[in-house]
Amino acid sequence: MNTHHNIVRRTAATASLLLAVGAVSTFPAAAQGGGGGIQHRGSCSHSSDWKLSAKGDDGRIEVEGEVDSNVSGQTWTWRILHNGSTSAHGTATTGGASGSFTVRRLLVNTAGVDSIGWRATNAASGETCVGGLRF
Amino acid sequence: MAPSRRQQRPRTVGAAASPRRGRWTHPVVLFVAAGIAAITVLLIVLSWFSRQAATGEAILDSRSVTSVIAHSVAEPAIPPGLATGNAAAVDRFDRTTLNRLLVDQIVRIKIWNADGRIIYSDKVQLIGERFSLHEEELEILQHGGTAAEVSNLQAPENRFERGFGKLLEVYTQVRDPAGRPLLFEAYFPYSHVTQRSDEIASEFRPITVAGLLVFLILTTPLVWVLARRLDRSAADRERLLMAAVEASDVERRRISRDLHDGVVQELAAVSFTLSATGRQIHDQPVISSSLDESGAAVRRSLRALRSLLVEIYPPDLRRQGLAAALEDLLAPASNAGVEVDLDVSDTSVVSPECTALVWRAAQEGVRNAVRHGRPSRIFVQVTTSGDDVRLVVRDDGQGFDPAAEPPYGHLGLRSLRDLVEETGGSLEVTSAPNRGTTLEVRLACR
Repeated sequence: MNTHHNIVRRTAATASLLLAVGAVSTFPAAAQGGGGGIQHRGSCSHSSDWKLSAKGDDGRIEVEGEVDSNVSGQTWTWRILHNGSTSAHGTATTGGASGSFTVRRLLVNTAGVDSIGWRATNAASGETCVGGLRF
Repeated sequence: MAPSRRQQRPRTVGAAASPRRGRWTHPVVLFVAAGIAAITVLLIVLSWFSRQAATGEAILDSRSVTSVIAHSVAEPAIPPGLATGNAAAVDRFDRTTLNRLLVDQIVRIKIWNADGRIIYSDKVQLIGERFSLHEEELEILQHGGTAAEVSNLQAPENRFERGFGKLLEVYTQVRDPAGRPLLFEAYFPYSHVTQRSDEIASEFRPITVAGLLVFLILTTPLVWVLARRLDRSAADRERLLMAAVEASDVERRRISRDLHDGVVQELAAVSFTLSATGRQIHDQPVISSSLDESGAAVRRSLRALRSLLVEIYPPDLRRQGLAAALEDLLAPASNAGVEVDLDVSDTSVVSPECTALVWRAAQEGVRNAVRHGRPSRIFVQVTTSGDDVRLVVRDDGQGFDPAAEPPYGHLGLRSLRDLVEETGGSLEVTSAPNRGTTLEVRLACR
């Protein structure tokens, strides 16, 4: 009986791990940020990288989305999704030596788990960056 | 020959010619004190009413602020989806309006839908929670308008506001883009209402105080003039009274002198002559007896006349003393069979004016007792204590009802009362039918 129970536990743990990996496959690289924040990063459809971080702030979630293309002067349209709906959107231009742009917005921390999505599209090349996290 | 007794004029006791009045009992001082007291009471009452009005005004201000914020800031910024709890819509509303909603001391904002669900609050933990709306809140939500009330901080929907202390919540109707009615609620610290109330009340307080003070200042000189007029009137009245008394004394003195020098001497001579003649014609016993009886009758008349002289003309109190003068005063009553009892303490230190007034009061009391009371006993007592002299004239006569209209002719007692009170003393008459009468006079003889 004990052996059978151990097998069941291992199977459940493995299934959970696979589900977690499946989830992370959508959000390629996840890391716990400082101060209780969450940070995910990944690659866009061409050569650019994206980063999405979130941390709590007095009942709200401070969300920071970033695209790093290494090319300065590119125009990107971006969108922050909150539980599947567009919470904020806009246009940004990469700049600086790293050729990147960053967007910060406050979202209301609703009851339960908040799903936060980050989407950016290069207006010229059509390159797309898509990421997300749960908070 | 004129009587050797000198008339004691019942002048005002003490040096003051007008009623003695302390500095603090001057009419103007009393008026100003009463005015200040009235102003103080009036200010307290007005302050209470103005505070009520100002509180109402302050609440009205809060309602106006809430209405303006709800309809000019919140309502235009409500995105589609807020009423249904769309997270992105909540985000957008929060980002665009939060800093514009928490103004003018507003500490909390809540927006409710018709189901009693909080669809937005700056305290985001409340978003999505559902509570029952009160009847008045539902009325506003459905039909519009604005209302205010003190928050019930024990209610679960207000659990996050407990740290703010007493709050005033104001609610009004707003609509989302789809036209659905929502309830917009703003919470103000009640101290804000109190402070605003103070500000409003303080604007009117100086006007009220200044108005009342100006009234007091303007009326004080009038009262002062009136008081002076009353003083003069009282002094004139006293002078008239004294003149009347003096005239009466002069007249009594003249009558007394005329009687004494004329009729009394003549009667005494007639009496002696009749008695001497009667003794000389002892050989005619009938005539002698008749002359003796006539002489006795004349002597009786002479005694009666002398008693009358004592009554109409006061004795020389300084020389004779008050006790002896009172004995003379009571002698006719004693002769008439009334039991008299006289008790006079040492009055040597009492001023002559005061002694005269005591005698005059005793004379009035004894005269009234004999004339109207038909007593079997009269008790007269004079006691002194420091500057105070107390006279009591008590009889066991038929008495009278003090509440009834005094019979005609009781001017003597009234004049005496005036005289006593003008000097700062008091006169009291206690009586009841068949219970005798007590006259009590108190004088402060400085």
